[in-house]
Amino acid sequence: MSFNVLIVDDSSAMRAVIKKIVTISGFQMDQCLQAGNGREAMEVLSKNWIDVIISDINMPEVNGLELLDQLKKNETLKEIPVILITTEGSSERMQEAFNRGAKGFIKKPFLPEDIKKILHQVIGVSENGEYKEDTRTADECDF
Amino acid sequence: MGNTKKIQELLMSAIFEVFEKMFFVFLEPVDEDVKYEMIASINFTGSMKGNIDVFFTRDLAGAMVQNMLGVDESGVTQKLIEDCVKEAVNMIGGNFLQKYDSSKVFDLSIPVFKNEAGMFAAQEIAVSDNAWNLSFESNESLLGVKMRIS
Repeated sequence: MSFNVLIVDDSSAMRAVIKKIVTISGFQMDQCLQAGNGREAMEVLSKNWIDVIISDINMPEVNGLELLDQLKKNETLKEIPVILITTEGSSERMQEAFNRGAKGFIKKPFLPEDIKKILHQVIGVSENGEYKEDTRTADECDF
Repeated sequence: MGNTKKIQELLMSAIFEVFEKMFFVFLEPVDEDVKYEMIASINFTGSMKGNIDVFFTRDLAGAMVQNMLGVDESGVTQKLIEDCVKEAVNMIGGNFLQKYDSSKVFDLSIPVFKNEAGMFAAQEIAVSDNAWNLSFESNESLLGVKMRIS
C-alpha cells in the first residue's frame, strides 16, 4: 500500500528537505505533490487524490491554520489527515490547531526521525509498512 | 530588563539548535564583525514584541543549502539561498520564543530577505538591555544575529 503526500510550504528548500526525508524514511510513497501555500494546496487537492498533507503554518496568502478551516468545510477533503510543521510550539497554539483539525505536529528544527514517526503514527502504518488502524483517543495522541 | 543575560542565553541556544539540527553547521561565538552579504529578518508580536535580523556571508549561506539539501556547489541557486536563510531566521525566532515562554502565543511575520552587501551587523545598534548583537564563526564563515525587543 502506498500513499500520495502533499507538502505545503512557501520555502522550496523546506519542501525539498521534507520530500527527501519522507523518501528515505521508507514510507511507502506513491506521488509527492507540492504547494507554496494553502490556496495552491486547495488547487492541488481539487485535481489529485491525497492521503496525507504535511503543511507549514506560517505562509503568505492562505496559512496552514486557514487551510485546515477550508478542508474542514469540504465534505470530500475533510478526512485527509494534516500534519503541521511549525516553529511556534506553544501549547495554546498547538491546541488551537488540534481543534481546527490537525492530526499531528512537527516542531522545527526537526530530525528526520521526527517526520518518519509522526507520519507513520498519523496514517496508521507501522514502520515496517503494515497498515494498522489507529484506535487511540485524542487524549492518547502525542500532540 | 533584569533578565538580559537569560534572554541572550536562550537566543544563543536557539541559534545553535537550528544550525546544528537543520544545517549541520557548528557555530562558535566570536567578537569579530565583518561585512555581510545578505540579511533575513523577522518580526514577532505577543506578550513580547521585537525583531530578529540574521546576517550571512555568501559562503555560509551556500554551505547551509549544500548541507540541508545534500547538493554540491552547482546545485546552490539564489532561490534556494533565499529560502534557506529565511527559514533559518524563522526557526531561530520560533525556537527562541518557545524557549522564552512556551505557555504564550507569539505571532511571527513572514521572513524577509535582503541582499545588502557590505553591511556590518553591529553598525545600527548599541548593545543595551533591549538589544542583543551576537557574532558566530564556522569554518571561517561568519554569522551575525541582532535582536531588538520593544
